[in-house]
Amino acid sequence: MTTTSVPSQPTERKTLTGSLIGLAIVVVLSLVTHYVYNLVQPLTLPGNIPGKVLEYPIWAAAIGLVANYVLKALKVHNQVKSGFRTELFLKIGLILLGAKISFSVLVTSAGGAVVQGLIMVTSVYFFSWWLAGKFGIPDTLRAVMSTAVSICGVSAAIASAGAVLAKKEEITYVTALVIITALPLMVIAPLIAGAINMPEPVAGAWFGGNVDTTAAVVGAGTIYGPQAQEIAAIVKNTQNALIGVVAFGLAYYFSTVVEGKKERPSLNVIWKRFPKFVLGFILASVIFTVGILQKGDAFNTIQDTKAWLFTAAFLCMGLELSVGDFRKMGWTPFLVYIVVTIFNTLLALVIAYLIFGWLMPPTAF
Amino acid sequence: MKLSEDWLSVIIAFAIMALAMIGLINPAWVAF
Repeated sequence: MTTTSVPSQPTERKTLTGSLIGLAIVVVLSLVTHYVYNLVQPLTLPGNIPGKVLEYPIWAAAIGLVANYVLKALKVHNQVKSGFRTELFLKIGLILLGAKISFSVLVTSAGGAVVQGLIMVTSVYFFSWWLAGKFGIPDTLRAVMSTAVSICGVSAAIASAGAVLAKKEEITYVTALVIITALPLMVIAPLIAGAINMPEPVAGAWFGGNVDTTAAVVGAGTIYGPQAQEIAAIVKNTQNALIGVVAFGLAYYFSTVVEGKKERPSLNVIWKRFPKFVLGFILASVIFTVGILQKGDAFNTIQDTKAWLFTAAFLCMGLELSVGDFRKMGWTPFLVYIVVTIFNTLLALVIAYLIFGWLMPPTAF
Repeated sequence: MKLSEDWLSVIIAFAIMALAMIGLINPAWVAF
């Protein structure tokens, strides 16, 4: 990001010191989140709200947002933000989560997830592309936006931006859009699922299909229950694996149709964009399933470490939100994104019930 | 060759798993 995006802030300096200070801030805030979470768990809050419904992703995201505001008010956010590594913390946590998922659950869920992913990605992508076109949104922005809303938020936005040569401000705008919609959905979706007594596997598939960014998907699953967390992670990871295919399709379309070039993009883009951490997730599940890792101290240590890493990722979501980037593009893309998100949410609800509740339920946990 | 964030996450995750499995991470240090 350049200084033009947030004029009141000093020039961004991505230094090692800045990264280390940012990382230290995340560590301290993770400890604060853990403390507050454990403090509130046994309490009854005003309005008779039991403290235990406020799971740690909610505290982490809220504390991250407050810290974000404070760091920006102190004009030091740009100097330390390179230490806020949502994706890195999340990916390590997801691989560790894989070490508690039986391979048979992974395979059966992934089968349903592939079917769900293909239906969701295709329908949502083309609906978003069509609607954004109707509102006159530029092709590059609607490509980035459609990929973000249909696949997996921030990383899909970056992958598609590379394929269509989008402007930097379009990427930062869509990134802000993704986080602004994903944070409330992370809390609201489990509430809705609870209100209609949705079974955990169906809820996990729904979160995986409709919440836009992987961190918020895992957050929603964590809030709803352990099975929901596992299925949500499997469904989202399966959907993430489609990034490369979409990036290739977009690169092909923009280079041949929009720009009229004769040269075709290479199929290598599919492997290049494939999220390699998914391989680690699968390998961790195999290690657990064949008994190399068994339930006990090591297992508990790995799963507790995973919870710390997820806490850090949810904190960073709050810390990274940039309303300044969001304001620059105006309301039209925002309204289109909201309409597509509602469409995505309703369609994912029907598809998750059909596939995970009826046609292809995962094997018993 | 620059190490991507994806591969870095794989290396760190398996390092954590290996350290936990050989007992070098005390469960009390990371209790959540």
